[in-house]
Amino acid sequence: MNANMLLLPVIIPLLAGILILLVRRLRGIISLLATGSILIIAIALFKQQLTYSLPWLGFGIDFNLRLYPFSAFILLSITALSFLVMLYSCSFMQGKNYLNQFYAYFLITIGLASGAVLADNLVLMLFFWEGLLITLFGFIAIGGKDAFKTATKMFIIVGVSDLCMMIGIGIVWYLTGTMTISTLNVPLNTLGCTAFVLMMIGAIAKGGSMPFHTWIPDAAIDAPLPFMAILPGCLEKLLGIYLLVRITMDMFKLTPGSLLSSLLMIIGAVTIVLAVMMALIQKDYKKLLSYHAISQVGYMILGIGTCLPAGIIGGLFHMINNALYKNCLFLTAGSVEKQTGTTNLNKLGGLWSKMPVTAVCFLITAASISGVPPFNGFFSKEMIYGAALERGTIFYIAALLGSFLTAASFLKLGHAVYFGKRNQENENTRESSLPMLIPMIVIAAVCVFFGLYNRFAVSYFLEPVLAGQEFTEHTSTLLIALTVIVLIVAILHHIIGAIVNGSGVKAADHIHHAPVLSGIYDRAEKRFFDPYEIGLKIVSIASNILFFLDRAVDWIYDGFTVKLAYGLSGAIKRLNTGNYSLYIIWSLLGGLIILILMFKGFGS
Amino acid sequence: MLSLFLLLPFLGIIALNLPVKGRRDAAAFLYTLSLSIGQAIVVLFNPGDFWAKPDFWGGFFNLGLYADNLTFVMLLSIGIVVSTAVCVGWQTISDHRQRLNFYNLVLIALIGMNGTVMLTDIFSLYVFLEVTAISSFILIAFHRDLNALEGAFKYIVLSALATVLMLTSIAALLLFSGGTSFAAVSAAVKSNSGNVIVIIAVSLFICGLFIKGGLVPFHGWLPAAYSAAPAAVSILLAGIVTKVAGIYVLIRLVRDVFGPISEISSVLMLVGTFSIIVGALAALKQDNFKKILAYSSISQVGYIVLGLGCGSPLGIAGAIFHLFNHSIFKSLLFVNSAAVEKQTGSTDITKMGGLGSRMPYSNATNLIAIFSTSGIPPMAGFWSKLVIIMALWQMGHFTYAAIAILVSVITLAYLLAIQRKVFFGILPQELKHIKEAGIWIVIPAVTLAIIIIGTGLCFPLLFKSFLMPVSSFFK
Repeated sequence: MNANMLLLPVIIPLLAGILILLVRRLRGIISLLATGSILIIAIALFKQQLTYSLPWLGFGIDFNLRLYPFSAFILLSITALSFLVMLYSCSFMQGKNYLNQFYAYFLITIGLASGAVLADNLVLMLFFWEGLLITLFGFIAIGGKDAFKTATKMFIIVGVSDLCMMIGIGIVWYLTGTMTISTLNVPLNTLGCTAFVLMMIGAIAKGGSMPFHTWIPDAAIDAPLPFMAILPGCLEKLLGIYLLVRITMDMFKLTPGSLLSSLLMIIGAVTIVLAVMMALIQKDYKKLLSYHAISQVGYMILGIGTCLPAGIIGGLFHMINNALYKNCLFLTAGSVEKQTGTTNLNKLGGLWSKMPVTAVCFLITAASISGVPPFNGFFSKEMIYGAALERGTIFYIAALLGSFLTAASFLKLGHAVYFGKRNQENENTRESSLPMLIPMIVIAAVCVFFGLYNRFAVSYFLEPVLAGQEFTEHTSTLLIALTVIVLIVAILHHIIGAIVNGSGVKAADHIHHAPVLSGIYDRAEKRFFDPYEIGLKIVSIASNILFFLDRAVDWIYDGFTVKLAYGLSGAIKRLNTGNYSLYIIWSLLGGLIILILMFKGFGS
Repeated sequence: MLSLFLLLPFLGIIALNLPVKGRRDAAAFLYTLSLSIGQAIVVLFNPGDFWAKPDFWGGFFNLGLYADNLTFVMLLSIGIVVSTAVCVGWQTISDHRQRLNFYNLVLIALIGMNGTVMLTDIFSLYVFLEVTAISSFILIAFHRDLNALEGAFKYIVLSALATVLMLTSIAALLLFSGGTSFAAVSAAVKSNSGNVIVIIAVSLFICGLFIKGGLVPFHGWLPAAYSAAPAAVSILLAGIVTKVAGIYVLIRLVRDVFGPISEISSVLMLVGTFSIIVGALAALKQDNFKKILAYSSISQVGYIVLGLGCGSPLGIAGAIFHLFNHSIFKSLLFVNSAAVEKQTGSTDITKMGGLGSRMPYSNATNLIAIFSTSGIPPMAGFWSKLVIIMALWQMGHFTYAAIAILVSVITLAYLLAIQRKVFFGILPQELKHIKEAGIWIVIPAVTLAIIIIGTGLCFPLLFKSFLMPVSSFFK
């Protein structure tokens, strides 16, 4: 296989994106052709090992691309999901604004993402990575009036974390003197650990982990839905987790039980629980999903953070599973939004009979995400549970609690949207068009397939990633039994909640209004804990202080100095009375002083 | 053949005053103009060693003239500024008889200045200084109104003081040297260093020159004289007369006659800095266009003296370069003030505004002159100030260098105030009819602006081939 082929997944979408911006028509066909062709290329490249090298910036910064099992797998996932979402968008985006920009950003995003995955040089990767930031901004900004604010928020949060990554890369260069990822082996001394944490921030922020997540729920409301499906729902997870695995496994070689590993697991566990708590109380389809997009990252980080082969495989399996079902869930949300015009749970209900295909797809993927056997989410979660339990019971409990709340929130979501009482306005709702249904059906089918043939999926796609490391599953009957019990409890909880609180959408309200939690929830809903908002407050205080200092300094220049200068000027003006005898006296005095000075000099 | 610089104006004066009928003022204008432009051109395209040749009339008219690079720079500046003043004079003086008088006086001043820069004898130097000074007195009082007479009177009084100081000094030096030629005086000063009378003599001479050059605290006459003089005379005075009479002689004497004595250097730097600061501060609060320029002159002369006091070849080169630049940009500023004064009848900048739209040439050239004065690249003034500041830095005079830089900001402040109040802003109703002042003001203004930009752009070329040789010591 020609190594130049590696360039195609990067170049084709980029060129297609630019072409759309230039030509301004045929965007659907160009997009489908571009994504379809790179999907075929990715399939052809799968199971290949290729490297491509081109001199670029010098100083060891070359245009190196490397295809090996891991990147090939991620590339395949990216292209496949992109193709499906593109197909979906062709129907969904009809009649929306800024279509040319939307398709161009979409294609460029795919190209950049492929580049970031294939890059074998840290600077090259950073180049693509930062490029994604720009398309991300554009994607959100075309969403509408308020979207610009969200886009700015995203830009600052992701920009700061990317900056951290940049510094981390700088440290890595300083430590090792090379930028080629495949040859890197960074020592884990103090500086190395700093570099790891900085790069990890970049990776998990891309993945949308806490505390870098706060723009995602805002974007869920503002940005076009396919954007949510493809970027926070799937591409960003793939990229973020890909990088996280690269740095924990290849570049830094973290060992189980190390402090950094525990740090990752803590971040993962906290993300799982807090995000899903927020998801539970959401009253909007898309926003609820967006919190799950955050929560699920927690599982992956938790799994990878264990640094056990089983945990990493579990994390990766969960990554691909999540990319599938989260993508599909967002697509069902889009389907509902397209047909009913709303995603507010209070206005939805009883769509089961009206939109059966969407409903079935939702059910399958919701079961997947909740970890119901035999769907794919169940198996990946079991692997993570096993690894987490080995590292500490508390992590396992957190993961299990997350599972419970996930199931509860999806029961609530499904109940509110597809069952229960139908809203008057939705009487005439019909099923979505075929281009929107096909992607959902395909993804849901893959979810089922990955569930039923999980051994195949793991051994075919994921085990090559470990590159020969021993991999033993830690799952046991006890764990499976516990999972099933938790699911049953969740269902019972939902039923009781629905009966007590009156409707499906209010089934979890007792948690929302629990004594301590309600206060926390209220503040969280007001973005009280949003690091961005806190940062804005700090910045505004700091800027006030600095403004005061600035005024003070300005006064020295602009007030004091000017007053002084004008004062002196006025004094000189008053001294120049026009009286010539005075001028003679000055001159004579001046002469006298000069004489004295001259003599003083000569005398010494 | 250097005596041509003196003879041609002299013959011109005689010829122009022959009782012939016709437009003698036009003839005088053409003659003075062609003479001064010719002077600038022949100096610029210095034709080989023509100047070194003995006069073809032998020693009949031998004054011991000598020209080195410094002299040529001065002759060039004199040529440019005098031609500018001649043009502006034609435009601003309307009476035929007055014009003739004006050109006669300008020719006398030209003789005085040319003589001053070419002579190598300290007493003849004094004589030619007085020739220049006397024609300047009359020129200031040209219109014979109260202000002009007052300005001229102050100049006469303080010039007299300078004369007394210089003559006393020459007399004292004569005691030791036995002659008044530069070489004799120089030898006497060197061999009698530390002698009380020599020190007094040197100090008095320098004080006299400070008065002539208008340095603080010897500057009392200068603002009054500059602002009271007719427009064309202001150009002549500010652009070249005081520079030749005060600063050129100072450079010549310090560089070639008294030698680089450290006490003189410190006094020069002190007085120079003092002038820079006081001149700039005083300019800040003035409302009179010409007074601002007059104080600005004091400040800029301070830079020249500061560079000279630095004593290093680089500093002297910077001083000479700034002297040249100053004569160009200050002339240009005064040309514009003449244009504004002629068209509005006033020099009070608070009563003006928005003239830029009506007088585009004055506006643009004035801005160029302002940038050059305050040292904005790539104008010529930037380079000369830079060289001076670099020289100061090189010699370790960091405080002086810092002051020089800081005052540049004040320079920009008061000059931009002119620009803003006169050329920018809203045009008052009564000035709606204003037009450009006339061809004989626009042509010199544009020419001077081109010289400023050209010099600035060619600086890298000038630096090695022209500037550094200029500063080389008298041999």
